[in-house]
Amino acid sequence: MTELKNLVKSLLEEGKVTKVIGYRMYGENNTKPYIAVTPNDAEEMVLNTDCRNNLSVYLTKKEIINGGKTGIVAKGCDIRNIIALIQENRIKEEDILIISAECKGVGAEKGSAVYANKCVNCSVKTPHLYHELVEMKGSELSQPKDKYTEAKEKVLAMNSGERFEYFSNMFSECIKCYACRQACPMCYCEQCIADMSIPRWIESSATDRGNLSWNMIRAFHLSGRCTGCNECERACPAEIPLSFINKLMYDTAKEEFNYESGMNKETPTLIGSYNTKDNDNFIQ
Amino acid sequence: MKVGVFICHCGENIGRTVDCPKVAEAAGKLPGVVHSVDYKYMCSDPGQNLIKQAIKEKELDAVVVGSCSPHMHEKTFRKAVEGAGINPFLCEIANIREHCSWVHENKDEGTDKSIDLIRYAVEKVKRNEPLTTIRVPITKRAMVIGGGISGIQASLDIANAGYEVVLVEKEPSIGGHMSQLSETFPTLDCSQCILTPRMVEVYQHPKIKLMSFSEVEKVEGFIGNFKVTVRKKARFVDDEKCTGCGDCIQNCPIKKKALSEFDENLTTRTAIYVPFPQAVPNIPVIDSEICTYFKNGKCSMCVKVCGRGAIDFEQKDKLIEEEVGAIIVATGFKLYSIEKKPEDSPIKGYGEYGYGKYKDVIDGLQFERIASASGPTEGEFLRPSDNTVPKKIVFIQCVGSRDEAKGFSYCSKICCMYTAKHAMLYKHKVHDGEAYVFYMDIRAGGKMYEEFVRRAIEEDDVKYIRGRVSKIYEENGKYMVKGEDTIAGVPVTIDADMVVLATAMIPQPESKKLAQTIGIPYDSYGFFNEVHPKLRPVESSTGGVFLAGACQSPRDIPESVSMASAAASKALVLFGSDFLEREPIVAKVNENICAGCFYCKKVCPYNAIEIKEIPSKNGKPVRVVAYVNEGLCQGCGTCNATCPSKSVELTGYTDAQIFAEISAI
Amino acid sequence: MQTEKKTVNQFEPKVIAFVCNWCTYTGADLAGTSRIKYQPNVKLIKLPCTGRIDPVFIIKAFEKGADGVLVSGCHPGDCHYNAGNYHARRRWIMFRKMLETMGIDSNRLHFSWVSASEGKKFTEVVNDLINKVRAAGPFKSYEKINKEYVIND
Repeated sequence: MTELKNLVKSLLEEGKVTKVIGYRMYGENNTKPYIAVTPNDAEEMVLNTDCRNNLSVYLTKKEIINGGKTGIVAKGCDIRNIIALIQENRIKEEDILIISAECKGVGAEKGSAVYANKCVNCSVKTPHLYHELVEMKGSELSQPKDKYTEAKEKVLAMNSGERFEYFSNMFSECIKCYACRQACPMCYCEQCIADMSIPRWIESSATDRGNLSWNMIRAFHLSGRCTGCNECERACPAEIPLSFINKLMYDTAKEEFNYESGMNKETPTLIGSYNTKDNDNFIQ
Repeated sequence: MKVGVFICHCGENIGRTVDCPKVAEAAGKLPGVVHSVDYKYMCSDPGQNLIKQAIKEKELDAVVVGSCSPHMHEKTFRKAVEGAGINPFLCEIANIREHCSWVHENKDEGTDKSIDLIRYAVEKVKRNEPLTTIRVPITKRAMVIGGGISGIQASLDIANAGYEVVLVEKEPSIGGHMSQLSETFPTLDCSQCILTPRMVEVYQHPKIKLMSFSEVEKVEGFIGNFKVTVRKKARFVDDEKCTGCGDCIQNCPIKKKALSEFDENLTTRTAIYVPFPQAVPNIPVIDSEICTYFKNGKCSMCVKVCGRGAIDFEQKDKLIEEEVGAIIVATGFKLYSIEKKPEDSPIKGYGEYGYGKYKDVIDGLQFERIASASGPTEGEFLRPSDNTVPKKIVFIQCVGSRDEAKGFSYCSKICCMYTAKHAMLYKHKVHDGEAYVFYMDIRAGGKMYEEFVRRAIEEDDVKYIRGRVSKIYEENGKYMVKGEDTIAGVPVTIDADMVVLATAMIPQPESKKLAQTIGIPYDSYGFFNEVHPKLRPVESSTGGVFLAGACQSPRDIPESVSMASAAASKALVLFGSDFLEREPIVAKVNENICAGCFYCKKVCPYNAIEIKEIPSKNGKPVRVVAYVNEGLCQGCGTCNATCPSKSVELTGYTDAQIFAEISAI
Repeated sequence: MQTEKKTVNQFEPKVIAFVCNWCTYTGADLAGTSRIKYQPNVKLIKLPCTGRIDPVFIIKAFEKGADGVLVSGCHPGDCHYNAGNYHARRRWIMFRKMLETMGIDSNRLHFSWVSASEGKKFTEVVNDLINKVRAAGPFKSYEKINKEYVIND
């Protein structure tokens, strides 16, 4: 197995890629996205259990992807987004070079001894689409508390009025900063309908009603597309547990259609395809 | 925007349960409404004049009519407002009859609901945009794919109406399966005798361009404006020079290396050949797989004997582009070969019938060749293995059809009739012969069909046994056909000299590929789908593409010909006008905000979404966006609902219009 | 069927129906021509196809004060546009699950296939939804979160 720094260095030297999107250390137990452009930049590159960011979000930025072949350091979960982006014509496989590793999971946050929630039940610790393999560094982490199941049980025990109140309260914290949108690799529209004024899809000020609509529409637009990377939740300054609704949609896609986003680039996307035998039992 | 509202009483029909003057009064107070009246019959001339007059006097920009269903009179009122100078799409109908007065008895409720419905329509119409009818020019020229009887009929019909036809046939000759048949049911007239004149007519027709030994490679465009690329395969014979004298064929030393496709592998053919003597065009083809020249360059006998110098070993495939306005697909069928399990198929096959193993177990088309006067036996009934006259023949129906477990679920439809014909032909020639038919049911629906089958049974003494055959095996030089007579309830074994299997008609193997090339749907078997099974049986869901013959489902000759003429008439209807007029309800892309995810393309049922490159100033493509081909778009709006950024919108049903309706609640 | 005069304070549900032009709208026309009576609380919004129905329309309808929403179109296999309803159904499966979990009672949101010949079925579907909404009472959830704000569109 090649060492990451050497690999990046030689890729850049040989001109196989024009840049490599990766991580560099940012203080202790923390990393930051980093783009290596010259062979010397490779020295900074790391891949360890503190590499929480999903770097595939950069692949939809034109200024990055248009300037020649792009290398990207991607964990299995990040590769799922890369696949989903290929399925949606965002990127061409031949324009990227994926550097991956057998993943050890990433820490929930700086200095944390437990996995991030997204690592629980991860099925892609072994990468499923890559061009180069390197080693991931870092210490063993332990299982976090399963917050999702707990929250889901709580919600399911409520009647519909209570649920509505629960979620409208949850989203009333939203300040419409759209950090969730910025962090999401799948939110790449040129213009989001949240910013559209004619017609007004979503109230632009941070009213409870507008907040609720925004969060519903965001989750719906990601349904069948979200891979569960949780970058939205990590980015949310209001600390709204956005992963709940994402995971709900994710599980629905799996239960109803046996579909998981970003697993196979040949599979037709969930929305955009259909089966004449799709569930019909809720339709009168 | 100044909106005028017109409430119709429809005599008593609306007025009885809706207080129309009250509705008009309430409508008059809605924001944007400057004029509101009610009238007894708004669709009558005086009613329409009321609207026209108001448009002029009150300088209205848009109109809402509260009346019957838009399916009744939307066109009437749109025409009326157009007459007064307003764009017809600035007129909306509030359905206060079918959806209100006729279904609600309480007058207060009916009145309130009518006011609501008017409010919805007013809010919508305020956001309507003027639209213009789309006019697409039509190329009045047709392409027919497939030169069997269906394709021939369709070509002749269109050509005789005065329009040019390009007929594309993949084999060296037109004629299709019908040219292989001996006699045809239920009249027993000779197949070639009725077909050959048609083939010649095609060849000589000044309006028909025949492209034999050619295949459709690419189809672009849409109804009225297709661009089809056809691959003209190399024949290695110059069709301009060849006179069809046949000297090359006579002198070709390669005589036994290839089986004759036309004779269903019962005979051999030369390396340079025409499929059959009456072939149209009568121009040979060189089979480069077996020709000695192509192997080692040693033989060029054909070159030597050809007085016209027509042989051209250097000939290459040619790609030819044809512009046509309509396409008729008539690619026909082939017979399901039962000898082995078809690849990629859930079908299990009928290995136990010994087809391919026993020489005298043959299929229906092989029997046709044996029965044919121009066939390998010149019409004498001789079995393939030893050229003796079979004294006992067993015919088995429904082989591969009506059999979900081992074959296909559908009924192959023509087999009952041709089996009766086969048995009859046999009995007519071999008077002391015995003919047995194993059948499931006799399906003889058709003019003189039932009578025909009765004739086989009653006059020609063909023995019909209801039941299936489980096995065929060889014993003492006989083919033992083991089956069950389900009427008598006893097992039967017949020691036959020959067995004929009525195997299922299936689509041509390349049918799915062709369907994808053209962009038409097909069923799970690969038969092309019509858009409506009852009312539009020869139209595919792609505008301008029509279907004829057995490529759509098993069909006999009369049905194929009817379909072909129907498809031709559909093409002629299209050619009857210079422009195609379409309601302008189509999707439009806002290229500024389209991110190019192409979810719209994935959901479009009509392949109307294309990929457009937006170049930068120096001409380099910087991004791709969706582009709607207005000729193909049918206006369903599925793209609009799927687009996450709403960069594609359906005119006439824009999000702004619908939101306005919702907000009017 | 309610024909007697309503008392002043009785709750009258507001139901919006998003229907396709070819099947359900025409089915509703047929209910009309057949004079089959049903409750007047429903108002139809005509769209070319169920494929055109953006799930956000449903959110909007509830936001704007609908107590119930009906979504209806051609039966599978009968879509005028071949496959619009299949794509729609897929979206509904996902969307419905979300709304249900987030507190929009499934008694308030019905989906149905009503063909152009099913005038009777149309009235049954409508009455059924209105009755369920009537029983569930006014949809106040949005009202609660709306009250402090001025609606800005």
